[in-house]
Amino acid sequence: MDRQGQIINPSEDPHLPQEEVLKFYRSMTLLNTMDRILYESQRQGRISFYMTNYGEEGTHVGSAAALDSTDLVFGQYREAGVLMYREYPLELFMAQCYGNMSDPGKGRQMPVHYGCKERHFVTISSPLATQIPQAVGAAYAAKRANANQVVICYFGEGAASEGDAHAGFNFAATLECPIIFFCRNNGYAISTPTSEQYRGDGIAARGPGYGIMSIRVDGNDVFAVYNATKEARRRAVAENQPFLIEAMTYRIGHHSTSDDSSAYRSVDEVNYWDKQDHPISRLRHHLLSRGWWDEEQERAWRKQSRKKVMEAFEQAERKLKPNPNLLFSDVYQEMPARLRKQQEALARHLQAYGEHYPLDHFDK
Amino acid sequence: MNLFQAVTSALDNSLATDPTAVIFGEDVAFGGVFRCTVGLRDKYGKDRVFNTPLCEQGIVGFGIGIAVAGATAIAEIQFADYIFPAFDQIVNEAAKYRYRSGDLFNCGRLTIRAPWGCVGHGALYHSQCPEAFFAHCPGIKVVIPRSPFQAKGLLLSCIQDKNPCIFFEPKILYRAAVEQVPVEPYNIPLSQAEVLQEGSDVTLVAWGTQVHVIREVASMAREKLGVSCEVIDLRTIIPWDVDTVCKSVVKTGRLLISHEAPLTGGFASEISSTVQEECFLNLEAPISRVCGYDTPFPHIFEPFYIPDKWKCYDALRKMINY
Repeated sequence: MDRQGQIINPSEDPHLPQEEVLKFYRSMTLLNTMDRILYESQRQGRISFYMTNYGEEGTHVGSAAALDSTDLVFGQYREAGVLMYREYPLELFMAQCYGNMSDPGKGRQMPVHYGCKERHFVTISSPLATQIPQAVGAAYAAKRANANQVVICYFGEGAASEGDAHAGFNFAATLECPIIFFCRNNGYAISTPTSEQYRGDGIAARGPGYGIMSIRVDGNDVFAVYNATKEARRRAVAENQPFLIEAMTYRIGHHSTSDDSSAYRSVDEVNYWDKQDHPISRLRHHLLSRGWWDEEQERAWRKQSRKKVMEAFEQAERKLKPNPNLLFSDVYQEMPARLRKQQEALARHLQAYGEHYPLDHFDK
Repeated sequence: MNLFQAVTSALDNSLATDPTAVIFGEDVAFGGVFRCTVGLRDKYGKDRVFNTPLCEQGIVGFGIGIAVAGATAIAEIQFADYIFPAFDQIVNEAAKYRYRSGDLFNCGRLTIRAPWGCVGHGALYHSQCPEAFFAHCPGIKVVIPRSPFQAKGLLLSCIQDKNPCIFFEPKILYRAAVEQVPVEPYNIPLSQAEVLQEGSDVTLVAWGTQVHVIREVASMAREKLGVSCEVIDLRTIIPWDVDTVCKSVVKTGRLLISHEAPLTGGFASEISSTVQEECFLNLEAPISRVCGYDTPFPHIFEPFYIPDKWKCYDALRKMINY
C-alpha cells in the first residue's frame, strides 16, 4: 500500500477478506483510543505509568494476523496491538494498568506489562532484549515437540544493541529454531536516535551475519507487514530456521509518560509522520477506496470504541486492589517457611499500624 | 561412582524418564570438560544433548525459554566463575518469572549446573564460589552437594523441582570423591540441612568441599580438646534450613561457619545474623566465620588463602575458651 492506501503491486495484495481487514482497522483504532484514554489517566494521577503505541499499530496487527493464534509471543513492551488483535479484553488491559484485583498478573508489575496464557502472550518484563534468547529456547522446545508452532519475538532497534540480541540471533541460527525475530525500528530509543544506536545498515543487515534470512519492510503498511510475517512463518515452520523482519516505523508518542520528547525532537518531525505516514490513516484510505468503510461508520465506530473504553476504564478504576497477602505468593511454586513468617509479620504489623496504610483500597 | 559419574547418572535418569529433557551448554556434546555428560549424546540423540555457542547469557536465556515452553532444561555453565554474564537472566528473569506474571508463566523446569570451588591451581577464574551473589535473589534455589551420593540425589531434586535451580558441583571432588551410588534414581530433599554427626559443644556448618574440612576439624577437636562437635552440611543455600541450624545452636551454644568464598558478604553472614536473632540467649560465644580472605582467589597463594582445618581448628579453640 502507498500512503494513500492504494495497492502498489497487485501481485503482493494479500487479498484478505473484508471482515479480516475491518478487524485490522478496529484493532488498530481501538488500541489508539485505549492509548489516549490511559495516557490521559496517568496525567491525571489515576495510574502510575503508561506507554502508548502511536504510529506502530500496523506492526502489531499486521504481524499478529499472520500468525496462528497459538503461536507464542515474546514482546518487549510496545506490542499491545498483538494482544488487541488476539481479542484480549479491555477490562484486563486496564486491570493490569490499575493493578486491581482482576489483574491476572496479581498487581505485581508496572502498567503495560501484560501477559496472557490463553492467548499465548508471555508476560512482559522491563529489562530489554532478555526475551530474545528466551524466545529462541521456546522455539527449540516447539520444534522438538513437533508443535507446528512458530515463536515470534518483538524488540525495538535499541534493544537490538543488547548482548542478549546477539546471543539470541546466534543461538537461533546454530540451533535451527522456528522463530521470527520482529524488530520495530521506530527511530528512537527514548531520546537516542538511530544514528546514535548503530552505524551499520539497521537491524536487517545484521541477520545475514548470523546466517539468518532477513527482510526490511515498511512497518506502516499493515499489508506489507502481514505478507512478510506470513511468509516468514510458513518457512520457519517448514525449514526450522529463524527469520528476521525489520519493520521501519516511527514512534509518534513519547517513550512513556515519564518522557517529554519535545526535549529531543521537533514537533514538525512528529507531525510529519502523524499526518503523512500513519498506519491507521493508510488503512482507512484503503478501506474507503474499496467501499468497505465510510464516514458514517467511522463516526459510529469512534463513538462506540470510545464508549467501550470509557466503560472498562471506569470499572477498572472502581475495583479494589488485590489482597496484600498476594505480595508474598508465587516467589516459588510453594511458599518457603521463612517467607510465610514474613507474611505473618506484615499481618501483625498491619493490625497495629494499619491506619497508616491504604488498606481501604485493597481487597480484604 | 565418583562425583562426575554421579552427575552423569542423574542426567541419564532424567533424560530416560522425561522425554522433554535436554542438556546444553559449551562442550557438552563430546562429554564436557569435566566428563559429566559422557555418553549422553550417543544415547539420547543430538537434539537432546547439544553444544551451544560460547555465550552464557544465551545459554541461560535459552534455557529459560525452553522451560517456559514446558520442557525440562538442564543448562551447563562451564565454570561458576563464568556465570556472571548470565546474572541478569538469572536474577531479573528466571527468579522473577512466576512472581511477575502472577503465576501465568514460570521457568521452574530450568536447572543450571556449574563446576564450583577451589581446585588447587584454579586461581581467580577457575576457583570461585559465587553462591552469595545468588543467595540475595528470591525465586531461585541454590544447591551444593558434598559427595557423589549427595550430588545425584540433590541434582535429581533440582531437575524435578518446580522452581529454577542452580546446582554448583565442587570440581575438586569430581574425581577424588568416590562412593557407592545407586544407578536408579533417588531424591534428596532440597532446603534440608543434614546433621552428619551429633555433638554437644559446638555446631559446625559448611557446604560442598568444606564439609570434609569441618568433619576433620571435629575429629581434631575431639582428640585434642575433648570437645564434641555437631557437624552440619547445609546443602541448600536458599531457601536455607534455618530450623536445623538453630536447633543445633540452641543445644550447643556455639556456632562456626566456614566457606571458601570471601568473608565479607559471604553466606556465613546471613547464617550468623539469623542465628544471633533466633538464638541470642543461647550463645556462649560470638559466632565464628572462617572464610576466604577479601581478595580475588589467588594462584600461587592458594594454600594460604583457603579456610583450612588449622584455621578452623584455631577459631574453634578460641570459641571454646571465650
